[in-house]
Amino acid sequence: MTDSAVGQASVIPPSSSWVRFLRTYGPTPNNLSLFDEYVSAALAKAKVSPIRLHSPQLPKIIERVRSGISGSILIAGTAGDGKTYHCRSLWTELGGDGCDWAGPDLIKRLSLEDGRVATFVKDLSELGDDQGDEVLELLERSVLGEEDREFLVLAANHGQILERLRSLGLRQGRSHPLRKPVQDAFLQTGPGHDRLAVFDLSKTAHRHSLEESLDAVARHPAWSNCAGCSLDLDGRVCPIAENRRRLLGEGDGRLLAKRLGDLVEIARHNGAHLPVRDLLALAANMILGHPAAREGLMACADVAKLQQAVDIERGSVYSNVFGANLPRRRTLSRPVFRALTALGIGEETSNAADGLLVYGADDSRLLEPFQRLVASDSIYGSTPTYRASQERYLEGEEGARLDEGATDFLKRLEAQRQRLFFTLPDGEAAFHYWELTAFRFAGEYLETITALTDRRAISEAVRARLARGINRVMSGLLLENTDKVFVASSGGFTHSKISVLCDTELPARRAPGGLGMALKLDEITGQPRIDIAIAHGANGIVSLVLTPIRFEFLCRVAEGYLPGSFSNECLEDLMAFKARLLRQAELSRMAIVEEEEPLPDDGTLTLNFIEIEHNGHGFSKPIAVRVAQ
Amino acid sequence: MRERIDGVDFAVDEHIWGHRLYDEQLPHLAVMEFLGVLASNREAPLVERAGEKVRYRPQRQIRLRSLLFNNPYVQTVRDRPISDSDKWNQWEALFLADATGHGDKDIAYLRDTFLSFDDFAKAVELLRSSAFEARSNKRWSSKFIFPFGPDALYEDLRVDASGASNDRRFFARTGEILYLMLCRAANGPELGERLVERLFVSSAPLNRLARAMQGDAQSAQDPRDVGYLPRGSHPRFDRLCEDWLAILSRDMPVYDALEHLIASAGINLLLYFLESAKSESGDTEPVEMVCEIVSRERSKVRALSGDSYQANQALSSRAVRASVDKFLLTPEWEAALNSSDPSGQCMAALRDQFQWPPSESDDEHDYSQMIGADMAALLAEKALSRHEQHFGKIHAAWSRSIGLSSRRLARRTRYAPNDRLLKSLVIAMVDERMQFDDFLHEAKRRYGLVIGDAEGSHLIRDGKIDQEALSDNRDNLESRLMSLGLVRRLSDSCSFVENPFASRGES
Repeated sequence: MTDSAVGQASVIPPSSSWVRFLRTYGPTPNNLSLFDEYVSAALAKAKVSPIRLHSPQLPKIIERVRSGISGSILIAGTAGDGKTYHCRSLWTELGGDGCDWAGPDLIKRLSLEDGRVATFVKDLSELGDDQGDEVLELLERSVLGEEDREFLVLAANHGQILERLRSLGLRQGRSHPLRKPVQDAFLQTGPGHDRLAVFDLSKTAHRHSLEESLDAVARHPAWSNCAGCSLDLDGRVCPIAENRRRLLGEGDGRLLAKRLGDLVEIARHNGAHLPVRDLLALAANMILGHPAAREGLMACADVAKLQQAVDIERGSVYSNVFGANLPRRRTLSRPVFRALTALGIGEETSNAADGLLVYGADDSRLLEPFQRLVASDSIYGSTPTYRASQERYLEGEEGARLDEGATDFLKRLEAQRQRLFFTLPDGEAAFHYWELTAFRFAGEYLETITALTDRRAISEAVRARLARGINRVMSGLLLENTDKVFVASSGGFTHSKISVLCDTELPARRAPGGLGMALKLDEITGQPRIDIAIAHGANGIVSLVLTPIRFEFLCRVAEGYLPGSFSNECLEDLMAFKARLLRQAELSRMAIVEEEEPLPDDGTLTLNFIEIEHNGHGFSKPIAVRVAQ
Repeated sequence: MRERIDGVDFAVDEHIWGHRLYDEQLPHLAVMEFLGVLASNREAPLVERAGEKVRYRPQRQIRLRSLLFNNPYVQTVRDRPISDSDKWNQWEALFLADATGHGDKDIAYLRDTFLSFDDFAKAVELLRSSAFEARSNKRWSSKFIFPFGPDALYEDLRVDASGASNDRRFFARTGEILYLMLCRAANGPELGERLVERLFVSSAPLNRLARAMQGDAQSAQDPRDVGYLPRGSHPRFDRLCEDWLAILSRDMPVYDALEHLIASAGINLLLYFLESAKSESGDTEPVEMVCEIVSRERSKVRALSGDSYQANQALSSRAVRASVDKFLLTPEWEAALNSSDPSGQCMAALRDQFQWPPSESDDEHDYSQMIGADMAALLAEKALSRHEQHFGKIHAAWSRSIGLSSRRLARRTRYAPNDRLLKSLVIAMVDERMQFDDFLHEAKRRYGLVIGDAEGSHLIRDGKIDQEALSDNRDNLESRLMSLGLVRRLSDSCSFVENPFASRGES
């Protein structure tokens, strides 16, 4: 290290202590300070104000207690959802003492003004069998019994409480009466119990919690200390400050946060649960991530060294989103990074985007967009090292394009695709950002949800594509029909490759009260749902809730391209849907046979075959067979 | 006195497992053979009367199967630019030239059945496309139409100049054994009723089509006895029966249920095979199969599941050896050894027990001059060598056939269940929904499948694998089932396996 670099590092940067505190929120192997229990001590040490998050459930919990309604409260959630935080806040709100809370008792009691006694258990898993049984006994008494004077505030994760109830039931030789209501409340499959208020923290809207977490970190008052820091002045760029600026997105309408919100929504609809603790870790990682730093997270002291080594761009906020700064194992151990990397951003690409990134600087037709979308970013876009690597790849000897030689450039290419995903302007016709993901139709997916939520008509293109996809999955034929849906069978197994027997033909847009396909919003999941009414009455409807994966699958089948990497599993999923449709068709036929006047058997069997015209349009054509009696 | 088995050189495997289980009769063929027995006993399905052998008279449907699988001309004739009646004429000439003469010469009725030759050709193509193993290169008389109903069932045959005979190439009695197992299960008769009611619907459209093609039914000349199953009851028979009842109760087309019935028959037959082997060698530990759930990441479970596969593969030949060795410890053998004519008495004792040796001497050996121990050693050797031909291959053949074992991404075979089998397990095991951990527990209890760390805790204790690897394996299963639409996840700690075809309420 040169003297000047040593000289710079010896001055302690003004935000050091805040950044050090924030680092502990990042995805380090032991980020203890993300546990409510450790936060207070760490705060005192760092002398900074806490990272505050608004919690929409808290007022509801407080209101429930204040209302005086009898019965108990269950706060459920995954590790990191803030169960302890909610318990502690309720405790304080109800007049509990902070020191008592910090005490060693696992079960705490608080007398309320209205004469009732609240028993707090902030984590069911901390209790041994005896204490656990005692608590569950109180729960049962207060919910199913007559106990009105005492109630329980119990925090637990979903699995624990169900497991405890099961094992207690087993030991008592009965099926525990609370297990079903609790399970129903979690799954939203049945009415809960009036005297048991379940607050499921894992059900909180994700885009909202993400935005809040990003704000809580990026807008923390302690950043003001950075003003005037020499590491970010006079042509020097501090990657920490730069990443924060991009996260705040004051120049581009918060595009990064918005796109990240979309990703989190897609991940959530695909079934990922991202606890608040993870979202905070993500925010901290986006700002502080750099593979060369200790544990992959920069402290202020690292900045000068990285500037000296001209190694800023590897700390790109766009790659940090996917944990590129962390060892692979650690990335995969975090639900948030696992969910985000599963979207394939960096690996997936389009010809247009790669053409731009690889040849843009040299191709006169691409020069304008290259300047605007790549070269304009001199920190994480077209940097001198990127251009040098690109040059080597394009102009260098043969080895530079072969396996090993190309690694450096391909790695940079990945980072650039990630950057493009977050920076391409909306409506950039030639380069669409969803094409850089494994979910090319995710934009339309989210758009469909918005339309259905606002009770607007969904796009006709989407309906047509879904209908075509369903027809192709149903029949195994390359049908182009978008106006009707064929319920088809192979005669034998539903999953046979080709199904040419048309069982029923239905309109792709259901008229009110009629039969056919309709797109609705599923009340429970908040996802779009295909309803196919195959017979009249509520029983005649077969539904398929569309996750982003299923939506993508159907759209890709409709467009005629389904890369081999795309999960075969989705097909299974849709085959189950097809089987349910065929079963429903069978049942309604049977019902008709039973209800209607029996017809004489004239010995004729009619089979409807799906035939295809030259333009790919399918129609059903009957053949008649005479069957001996 | 043990039951005598006809047509075998000696009876060792037969008394451990029955006569017989056969490696090349894969589970779907066993079920097909089973359906033939069931159809023939439709009036009292899955009922075995004391002291009476179950008998059946299988259908042969020579015309139907010839039209489907010994009839390569339909498409060519259809495409010719000639009149409909010329098509019929040309096709008939071609077909009759190849006909076997065992009941497939009279096909004139087809012209009345179909309005046009093209319709006939289409119908043939439809039935062909749904056949099991439609594209296999098996002889045509071993190809099967999908069991659409009672008219679409027939037995495996060898058809040549001398006639049509049942050579037990693919219908080797495993289906008969399956039938006996279900007769001997606690709820057998109930299952029998249910199967007949769902599977043998004469009016089902494609069964009618098969009937139209076949014309009058053709059956084997005489009824015959089913094979021999040594055990009068076994928990595995009950398990199989319960699984089948559960599958039939699901809200799905019955033709799809068939696929799961086959998978369930496969895994339960396989377990019966392994369990009987264990009990024959005096091993009282339950059968266990450590399964790797294949994922993108390499897993330590692979080696262990390979070991588990190997260990189970070795069980059956050990049972054969034990079966002979065990006999040498019995009082009968002791008495024979101590008699005045030890060679003669040992020979008689072996013959009572194993139907061997067939005579006092043959080309290679003079048994009357042999001491008992040598005779027994020779029997064990013969039995083992015959065992390796077919019985010894059952574990490998069946487990691969039902998608339980695989060599995907690996050099040796291990248990790595595929999606289809996982789906069948969910459909058989889950009534509506089940907590994921209960599901794992239940899969171990019912089928010995070890997937997660809780089920494999003894392996962790013995230092064979670390907890993390099994717990990752568990997570891999969870994600696999999730993408199959079979798991709903509440949070990282809690998910539910859901049956997409959950039975509807009585309403």
